Amino acid sequence: MTALVAALKPGARFAPLLWVIIALAIAAVAVAIGGRIIAQQIVSGLMLGGIYVAVAVAFTLTIGVLNFLNFTIPTLFMLTGMVAWGLTAFGLPFGLTGRWNWFPALVAGIAVTVLASLIVERFTFRYFKAKHGDATEHAIPLVSSIGFLLVFEHLVLIVLGSETQRFPTPLRADINIAGVVIAIPQLASLALSLGVVFLLSYILKTTKTGRALRAIAESPDTATILGVDVNRIVPIVFLLTGLLCGLAGALFAINYSDVNAFMGEHVGTKAIAAMVLGGLGSIWGAIAGGLIVGLTEVLAIHFFGGEAVQIVVWSLLLFVIILRPQGLFGASKIGKGKL
Amino acid sequence: MSAEAILSLRGVSKAFGGLKVIDDVSFDIPKGERFGLIGPNGAGKTTVFNLISGVYPIDAGQVVLEGNDISTLPSRKRIRNGLSRSFQNIRLMPHLSVAENVMLGQHSQALGLLDLMTPVGWLPRQRFRREADAALARAGLDIDPGEVVSNLPYGIRKKIEVVRALMSKPRVLMLDEPAAGLNPRETADLAAFLKTVSDQGVTLLVVEHDMSFVKNLCERVVVLNFGSKIFEGTLAGAQADPAVREAYLGTRRVA
Amino acid sequence: MSGYWAGILAILSINVIFAYSIYVTAAAGQLNLGGAGFQAIGAYGTAYATTTLGLPLWAGFAIAITLTAFVSFLIAFPVLRTRGVYMVLATYAFAQVVSGIALYTPALGGAMGKVVTEYVPVWPLIFSAIGVTFLVFYLMASRFGLAMRALHDDELVSTIMGVNARAVQVACFTIGGAIAGLSGALYAHHFAFVEAQYFSPLLSIFVLLFVLIGGTQTAWGPLIGSVFFTLVPEFLRLGGSSWRYVIFGAVIVAMMILRPEGIVTRTLVAKLSPSRWFAKKPVAQEASLER
Repeated sequence: MTALVAALKPGARFAPLLWVIIALAIAAVAVAIGGRIIAQQIVSGLMLGGIYVAVAVAFTLTIGVLNFLNFTIPTLFMLTGMVAWGLTAFGLPFGLTGRWNWFPALVAGIAVTVLASLIVERFTFRYFKAKHGDATEHAIPLVSSIGFLLVFEHLVLIVLGSETQRFPTPLRADINIAGVVIAIPQLASLALSLGVVFLLSYILKTTKTGRALRAIAESPDTATILGVDVNRIVPIVFLLTGLLCGLAGALFAINYSDVNAFMGEHVGTKAIAAMVLGGLGSIWGAIAGGLIVGLTEVLAIHFFGGEAVQIVVWSLLLFVIILRPQGLFGASKIGKGKL
Repeated sequence: MSAEAILSLRGVSKAFGGLKVIDDVSFDIPKGERFGLIGPNGAGKTTVFNLISGVYPIDAGQVVLEGNDISTLPSRKRIRNGLSRSFQNIRLMPHLSVAENVMLGQHSQALGLLDLMTPVGWLPRQRFRREADAALARAGLDIDPGEVVSNLPYGIRKKIEVVRALMSKPRVLMLDEPAAGLNPRETADLAAFLKTVSDQGVTLLVVEHDMSFVKNLCERVVVLNFGSKIFEGTLAGAQADPAVREAYLGTRRVA
Repeated sequence: MSGYWAGILAILSINVIFAYSIYVTAAAGQLNLGGAGFQAIGAYGTAYATTTLGLPLWAGFAIAITLTAFVSFLIAFPVLRTRGVYMVLATYAFAQVVSGIALYTPALGGAMGKVVTEYVPVWPLIFSAIGVTFLVFYLMASRFGLAMRALHDDELVSTIMGVNARAVQVACFTIGGAIAGLSGALYAHHFAFVEAQYFSPLLSIFVLLFVLIGGTQTAWGPLIGSVFFTLVPEFLRLGGSSWRYVIFGAVIVAMMILRPEGIVTRTLVAKLSPSRWFAKKPVAQEASLER
């Protein structure tokens, strides 16, 4: 109870957690009123939110440390699923009929994604040198990342086509709690996604590399003076971005079975929304934001239909950016989302 | 408070995140004087400039210009009241030409809609442009006014910044380390030029580390250390003052 | 003029006008990633005025331009509180709201789109593009334009020099809005059809690319940028495969490495300017301390 009171104070450390608790409480009320159908919606919302969380953390990490809105993130997400599907479709790595075929395929997909992310780093930050600082200078890596978005998306279209494909998912097991069906892979995915993000947050706090990342987020110049090798640390941000997007893409492929060359756009947009809700640069905010966006999306579509959701969600986000640029929760952050 | 003071600081204080960087600083600058603001590195000289020009709001005290309290006046309006400044690191607009940078200095003199709509870029003999060219010539800058400033050498850019600050027809001109990085000949030229500016009735407030430049130019100095005023008077007096000597000890001997 | 070239010139004209609408804010140092939203207001404004209300064509254009300018003016105050990445996201969110409203409002055709009855041929588009280009060149040559460019380089110093940053930026947003409204109206009447899906985030991204690849330092930038972006994919199409977007993306990445300040920089314009050929020789680069 004391912890709850402490969390209620503005700027408190556990504020995002509190929001999650409030959201769950509202969900419980909704279930009490709406019954099994609503409960089912909430479960799917949280599962979807788990995917958003991983992508939102990728966005928020890049903005927090490098002040860079990385537009390749949605494509990286898509790349994992499509590469994995492509491999299984061509019978790789273990032939067409292997029961565990999907697993190495997804691992290979993630590896390709990480590689792609590192290529992006090489061509956006490594050679980037602005001659004079000015107001539009921070857009340079953003423009490069849009170039990469085109390259990756159209390479996938050329090699693997534009049709929606079915990703073979061998694991189909559901548990049934009071009439609410929960797919075990989905539950595992949510746990895995959150687990990885918690681990990342722990790494940022405790390890030497994590401290270096946070130093760069504060000020690249000061970090350099303090002996942080910025050129060695920056690729780590992209490595983590690739891993997070790869993980999210793999989990999406397992759970929703459908993959196509455009699947990143929807998830990317929602992840940006989640990041804004949580505050740019805040990992805990991105977790809370991701779950809330997932829940809101599923429930709003259930009650109001798709178009209304877009208006409501984006108006809300516009207000949040303008009135509470630190995000809804005011949690501690890596970096300040500078400028 | 002497009646002829053009700029006065009265008990000005400023803290950043709990750290007091300027602590109860007061001084008066008489009209037409060449006034120096000196002190060791980190004494708060540039912060005083930023407080006078309104880059940050002050926490306590008053900044008074010609009898008017300008402490809460937005920085863009202070230049209209006759307060102009240069910057420690050159802050010319890197993507503008020499003439455009200098014309920017006239901005406070050209706020009418008609002035704003004048296509100065297309009219090389228009009044604003002629004034800018003339000011460059007066400062002895024989350069192509169409040159983009980032392509020019350091000494020239430093001088262009002084010219830009003069374009607003200031009554008080504040210069933040105008001689830093200049060679001895350029420094002497600059001092001579500033004396002609002063002779036209412009009050000068100069932050500078080069003590021979200060000696040559300034009639009176204020010495700051750790955000507090420790001395006010002539430079010779400052050099003899034990508190000033102690403040500089270990960092730099007063020349 | 063959149909193919007429089509390209029409798109090019609309792109040039659209690019200038975003450029006017970017030149003052503000990035707008919501271009499609502003263009959509113009397109739907005239579509509703002419087709639904039956107003004449000139009234449709007047409504499109003033409505977009007015909305831009209103949105400028809150949006300009934000900076950098936040402003990029705020304008992006605004465009999403606009396209959401267009999708959800039956009077605007919803997801089915809306047919626009009045047709505008290609020539007025070309003349409008020339007119807007001239207008922006004039704006950038004016004292007001000088203040904009100064803000782009250094907002703090500009303010100390007496520039009212907020007023200049709001004015730029409003002017940009009016131009975006014009581009939307021309689009609606030339293609005689508007649909919400066209005004997608991708369109906002592309128009910002026109400006940033072209260069924000001079008024040549958006012109060169939109010509580059409209014609290069067309020429690549002549090669005849979907590789063109891959090549195009690679070109964008290469451009940012080789010319991060855009194709046209202030220094380049100064170098090519005819008046400079007879000017005094620049001073010799003497050995001097850098900073």
